[in-house]
Amino acid sequence: MSNAKWADVIGWALLAVLLVLALTSGDTYTLKVVLWISLNILAAAALRFVMLTGELNIATAAFWGVGAYVAAILTAWYKLPFFLSLLIGGLAPMLLSVLFGYVTLRTKGPYFMLISFAFTEVLRLIYTQTESIGGNSGMIGIYPPRWLDPYYSAIVVAIVAALLAVFFWLERGAFGKLLKAIQNNDAVTESVGIDVLKMKVICLAVASFAAGVGGALFAHANRVISPGDFSFLVAVYALAYVKIGGETQFSGAIIGAVLLTLLNQYVIAFGHYEHLFFGGAIVVAMLVLPNGLMGLFERVAIAFGGTRENAAPAARGGH
Amino acid sequence: MDLAAQLLVNTLQIGSVYVLFALGLTLIFGVMKIVNFAHGEFFSLAALVVAVLMPVLAPALGLPLWVDFLIALAAAIGAVLVLGTLTYWIGFERYLRDLVGSFILSVGLILFLQGVFVEIFTATPRPVEPIVTGTISIFGGRITAQRLLIVALAITFTAMLYLVLQRTKLGKALRAVAEDREAAMLQGIRYRSISFYGWLIGVSMAGLAGALIAPLTVSQPAIGGDYLIKAFIIIIIGGLGSIPGAIFGGLLVALIESIFGYYYDLTIATIIMFVLVMVFLLVRPQGLMGHVER
Repeated sequence: MSNAKWADVIGWALLAVLLVLALTSGDTYTLKVVLWISLNILAAAALRFVMLTGELNIATAAFWGVGAYVAAILTAWYKLPFFLSLLIGGLAPMLLSVLFGYVTLRTKGPYFMLISFAFTEVLRLIYTQTESIGGNSGMIGIYPPRWLDPYYSAIVVAIVAALLAVFFWLERGAFGKLLKAIQNNDAVTESVGIDVLKMKVICLAVASFAAGVGGALFAHANRVISPGDFSFLVAVYALAYVKIGGETQFSGAIIGAVLLTLLNQYVIAFGHYEHLFFGGAIVVAMLVLPNGLMGLFERVAIAFGGTRENAAPAARGGH
Repeated sequence: MDLAAQLLVNTLQIGSVYVLFALGLTLIFGVMKIVNFAHGEFFSLAALVVAVLMPVLAPALGLPLWVDFLIALAAAIGAVLVLGTLTYWIGFERYLRDLVGSFILSVGLILFLQGVFVEIFTATPRPVEPIVTGTISIFGGRITAQRLLIVALAITFTAMLYLVLQRTKLGKALRAVAEDREAAMLQGIRYRSISFYGWLIGVSMAGLAGALIAPLTVSQPAIGGDYLIKAFIIIIIGGLGSIPGAIFGGLLVALIESIFGYYYDLTIATIIMFVLVMVFLLVRPQGLMGHVER
């Protein structure tokens, strides 16, 4: 098997382990950690999917937040069924992302990155100013149905795995090749008759649906949400998972999210040093592992006589 | 008429600091092709140094307050230059022209430096005594002498940067690198050392903005973050890497903020700015004075 296939196997095996843990473990703490790991994997995969076109979409955090607020309002206020509000929690940010993408995806690289950052922070400002959704203090009492409660972690892992399978299938198929072509050279892609803007908007819409579902699952896991949960840092952490796992591989997002979430479990014990340590860990990892753990894995494999097969270019925003 | 004059005076006093802050950001982008998300931390550091030193210097030296302020300002820029050099050597040097890598690095730095600043300076808001007192009227718009002094200093620093960029050899090298790195290197310009100078000048501009803001507000470690989103809007409007664009964008954002801040509130003003940027992008995706990215 080639390195790339090995990487995929590791990624899916990790997801399988999470699912088994979620189904069999009776330990509340383990279930919580499995839940957070799965949600972080989803955020990282949603961010990475748009990175296939070469764009860094910080608004992943914004769509995560829209999904959370929409689903929370639907279950907490209108008592809609949980799964229906999950679906709407995905569709609402997807529609919003089509509008947002139609305007902003004409730009690329640093412009798109900054505008997606500004969008995220402006939405957060709007939440803080809207008293009906709790303003600065946010919303409380967002519960999944009582019968679902013991299986909640397992449901989350299953939904995350299903969404990841869709991402995987899209990336490996013709659509994924098209996205990578746009990343390599959008002008050439356009010149052979492909509507680049449309493809980028579709890509963003798919990722935003997943991000919205992730936000909805997050809201029902956390029971409370506030504007502070949806700052641009959500996207930053997701990017850290992708980068530290290794962005050239699909499994990079999975491995990065698993490792950093576990690390964070220890770091939380440092109290207000949490940010300091996590920030430090990100900086050190960036300096020591330029291609992430998958890059390290590949280097080791090559050293032991393997071949360099998956030479997909790294997502980049600069030109 | 008086109201219009007052709003213009407000625009000038908000805008002069925005311009300084955004100039540093756009200069760093031009030379290094990275967005320095940690720009606000250099701003915070300078503001905190000034806010800590001012109450200490006055009784210790017995000099006029404005001399104390200049000493504190110099110390603040010194601290910013030390932090700038360290962060460049340890990190940014390896991420030149790498937008995504430098983004993570600078956000990691934000988290790390925020923690460090809270440790050193604590999270207590620190006010600074007014340097000069009194109020001055310009065409019917009123401004405190303190703010007028700050505006004058900000304009002076902006003009100095402009002169350095236009007239000196270093300035020409910086502009050449920003325009076309390879052509500049073919002319014998050493890209790595020029980008280091560009970085230091850029973070010093953030430091100057922070040091100038300290007497007008209460400083605490998170103060720089508030400026970041507006600086982004400014440089998107002006065009990334464009010096005149940053000046124009800074004044435009300040104008919107003073008008909508006056009639509604600052949050509405920020939302309006964002909507404006979206409309703007539909018409001119590369910013007002930016070039098409290739």
